[in-house]
Amino acid sequence: MLSQTVVNRLKEIVGEKNVVTDKVGLLTYGYDGTLLSGEALGVVSPHTTEEVVEIVKLMNEHNIKLVPRGAGTNESGGTIPTQDSVVISFTKMTKIHEIDTENFVAVVEPGVINFDLQVELEKRNCYFPPDPSSYKASTIGGNVGECSGGPKCFKYGVTRDYILGLEVVLPNGKVIQTGGRNFQSEPAYDLTRIIVGAEGTLGLVTKVFVRIIPLPRAKKTMLAIYDKVEDASQTVADIVAAGIIPTTLELMDNLLINTTEDFSHAGLPRDAGAVLIIEVDGYPEDMDPQVKTISEICNKIAKEFKIAQSAAEVDQIWTSRRCAFGSVARVRPSYGVNDITVPRSNFPKAIQGVLKVAKEYGVTIGVVAHAGDGNLHPLVLFDQRNKEEVETVHAAEKALCMMALDLDGTVSGEHGIGLVKKKYLDSEFTPAAMGAFRKIKRSFDPSNRFNPGKVFEL
Amino acid sequence: MGVLTEVYEMLNTCNKCGGCHTACKTYKLTGQETMVARGRIQLIKAVADGKLEPNQEYEDAIMSCLLCGECAVACANGVRGNELVMAARRDLKLRKGIKPFAKSFALKTLASPKRLGMGFSLFGGMGKSVLNKIDGMDYFRGIDIRNFPTAKKPFLEQVPERITVQHPKHKVGFYVGCFLNYSLDQTAHSVVKVLTKNDCDVIIPKDQVCCGLPQYAYGDFETAKKNARKTIDTFLDKYKDAEVVLSACASCASMLKHDYLKLFADEPSYLPKVELFCEKVVEFSEYMAKIGVDQSQLHNSSPVRVTYHDPCHMIRGLKVTKQPRQLLQMIPRVEYKEMFEAGRCCGAAGLIQAFYHEVSTNITDQKVENIKDTNADLVATSCPACMLRLQGGINKAGQKQKVMHVADLMANAYKD
Ligand SMILES: Cc1cc2nc3c(=O)[nH]c(=O)nc-3n(C[C@H](O)[C@H](O)[C@H](O)COP(=O)(O)OP(=O)(O)OC[C@H]3O[C@@H](n4cnc5c(N)ncnc54)[C@H](O)[C@@H]3O)c2cc1C
Ligand code: SF4
Ligand code: SF4
Repeated sequence: MLSQTVVNRLKEIVGEKNVVTDKVGLLTYGYDGTLLSGEALGVVSPHTTEEVVEIVKLMNEHNIKLVPRGAGTNESGGTIPTQDSVVISFTKMTKIHEIDTENFVAVVEPGVINFDLQVELEKRNCYFPPDPSSYKASTIGGNVGECSGGPKCFKYGVTRDYILGLEVVLPNGKVIQTGGRNFQSEPAYDLTRIIVGAEGTLGLVTKVFVRIIPLPRAKKTMLAIYDKVEDASQTVADIVAAGIIPTTLELMDNLLINTTEDFSHAGLPRDAGAVLIIEVDGYPEDMDPQVKTISEICNKIAKEFKIAQSAAEVDQIWTSRRCAFGSVARVRPSYGVNDITVPRSNFPKAIQGVLKVAKEYGVTIGVVAHAGDGNLHPLVLFDQRNKEEVETVHAAEKALCMMALDLDGTVSGEHGIGLVKKKYLDSEFTPAAMGAFRKIKRSFDPSNRFNPGKVFEL
Repeated sequence: MGVLTEVYEMLNTCNKCGGCHTACKTYKLTGQETMVARGRIQLIKAVADGKLEPNQEYEDAIMSCLLCGECAVACANGVRGNELVMAARRDLKLRKGIKPFAKSFALKTLASPKRLGMGFSLFGGMGKSVLNKIDGMDYFRGIDIRNFPTAKKPFLEQVPERITVQHPKHKVGFYVGCFLNYSLDQTAHSVVKVLTKNDCDVIIPKDQVCCGLPQYAYGDFETAKKNARKTIDTFLDKYKDAEVVLSACASCASMLKHDYLKLFADEPSYLPKVELFCEKVVEFSEYMAKIGVDQSQLHNSSPVRVTYHDPCHMIRGLKVTKQPRQLLQMIPRVEYKEMFEAGRCCGAAGLIQAFYHEVSTNITDQKVENIKDTNADLVATSCPACMLRLQGGINKAGQKQKVMHVADLMANAYKD
């Protein structure tokens, strides 16, 4: 429980309505996209950097920890309040300060929803390439926290590649700016890159300088349909080997085809083993040659290859892909999202590995993958209420992670470590590397007050 | 507990993906997790699991839902947040009776025709005269009370029970509904005019009652059922010859057509009759488009720019969107202009406008902005509650557009 003094002071800082301490309110800030939950001591929603600073100082005086939170859609337990902590919710810092299309920079507050920014940018013929499938809900602050990726990342890179600078409130209550609006502006240590992907453990992001780019003049969306998921993965390897970089190379297996089809009615063939969604963009005159090469590669193995003919068709294909995670509860109520990533050339092996794990452990796994990045999301489906099943699922997930590491991959491509993947980190990094992480954390946050217990134990 | 047990699998299917965040207006405006489908569902689940005892904050989360159904459209898992909220309201009612505001104000009044007439005139008449004495108090919680229309005499008392035409091709039972009866009687007249101009005999049972939606929406299924039964029996027994039961209020129509089935799901002996009735129910625009309107009879001398607002119960309840637009565009010299987010809730949402007025006022303001951007002269819609809400919002913003029912625009286009 927070003392009345602390509650009153918080209310003075952010206003009465922006402090939550009642049971109902706390319950709704206790979960995220995972199956975990916890209960915070309170929730506070600041509107300005100054308010954030005051909150941090107050928390320091009373030795209370802070858990930063955007929309709470992360898939790693990153916003679960574990130790006695207050959740600092950024959903009320939603200003877009500036969109500068001459210098291709936008300056936004962390609570701006990715989609809302895209809408504003589109009006000016620009966009922000990182587009996690959760882009309609997730915040730029959360994207920064997890260094999120998305379907366009094969060609364009992940969040990290589009963050020019940050304004950050440090655990000691001081405000720093890292980087800035210039494209090359990190004369000293590149603090921006340390904070991007740090999952809120090093500092609270209060302003983000994002790099934006002009919308492509043309794009083509294609759909390749396969009998077997292994065949699709072979195409992925072939396209990469041919030296082509599509904007998007997304894979969905039979299970996902069916659950997404229930919702989006995009007309994906329900009996197919897998589909690949392939998109290329650029200048209009570049489209045909790329499409031709890709169609040749696909047609070698695919059972069908289609080019979307209308904007509506493209939309439908994308609706399917974007709702993938959100649709599997139709099959079983609970799911574990895995985020393993392997070098692209090992992608077919990773797919085989997933199939093997599913068989060995007798669990249902649906696969959706940012195939171009070698990033797979095997979704292990189960029912949380069945304790035995939960055990099996944990074992299967561990096997998936170990399989990825064996293929020179990583346990998390884009969803972060949070609480869920913490246990695998020691297998991925040497003790010396883990030591370096801890030193960095301690130098920013010696009292372990920001998002404690996430990523690793200090 | 029973009610929540029935929907438990759906509660459990929500995997907290946040897909409903942009869909839910109450969240967009507040940024509060208690005000979004995901949050509401997790709270209901906590109550179902016995982890949370319903309290005032819980009721606020449940009662502030617009029941607009947008979350259900957005949810890839097929979770229908609005239905879960309905179940939670029912559960609350069974636990402790209905919330005081709902009890005293609307629900009781709407349940009985006599009180209903009084309620409407109180709101529009006496309420107005009191307000006139208080300077600057034109808007009670965002509702434009001073301009809240009241029929001098209920529509049902103004018309005969049967209106016949010379060469009848159809015979239509007209379910008028509270708003058209007590407040927007002119619109009810418009409906009759359009029907008769298109060779329909109109049957208007005098003893029709409130459809029961307001009570149903706040969990009072008993009263809702009473009214539903009366409505069904009236139209099916006493006025058997009516080929269809037509309503020009999207909310009533959606209640009559879909929710009656749910309401009586536990009464297998009566259910077949309900099914028969539901099949007969048709919304005004849907019906006119179906029987076909003779365009040559429609006249309009001055050009007018019109936009259309889809009421929640129309677009997501009845799933009727094309027909009203088609009808509007049949009127000569109408330039139709689609507004941004035409299908999003206008903020009226039953009693929400009165009891969670801050949220609802913001929602209406956004809608009014979207209307302004179209440069339309007229806003057409299909639900009287939306009509009043929109007109109030437009007046408050100092704009000039007039809000009318699709039936009003059509009726005006007939030379007498
Ligand atoms: C259906 C679905 C699809 C998804 N698709 C993708 C995908 O394609 N690619 C992908 O990468 N991820 C995806 N995700 C995961 C998730 O949506 C992303 O990680 C997203 O960026 C999280 O944003 P958020 O606003 O919800 O942040 P939250 O979940 O609230 O927070 C994420 C992390 O950032 C920290 N944080 C938040 N705000 C701040 C701040 N202002 N300062 C410092 N730290 C902060 C939090 O402490 C936490 O560690 C998906 C999730 C779902 C449910
Ligand atoms: S209601 Fe549907 S869209 Fe909303 S969080 Fe739950 S599963 Fe996701
Ligand atoms: S019905 Fe409307 S207001 Fe209610 S939770 Fe769903 S989207 Fe939100």
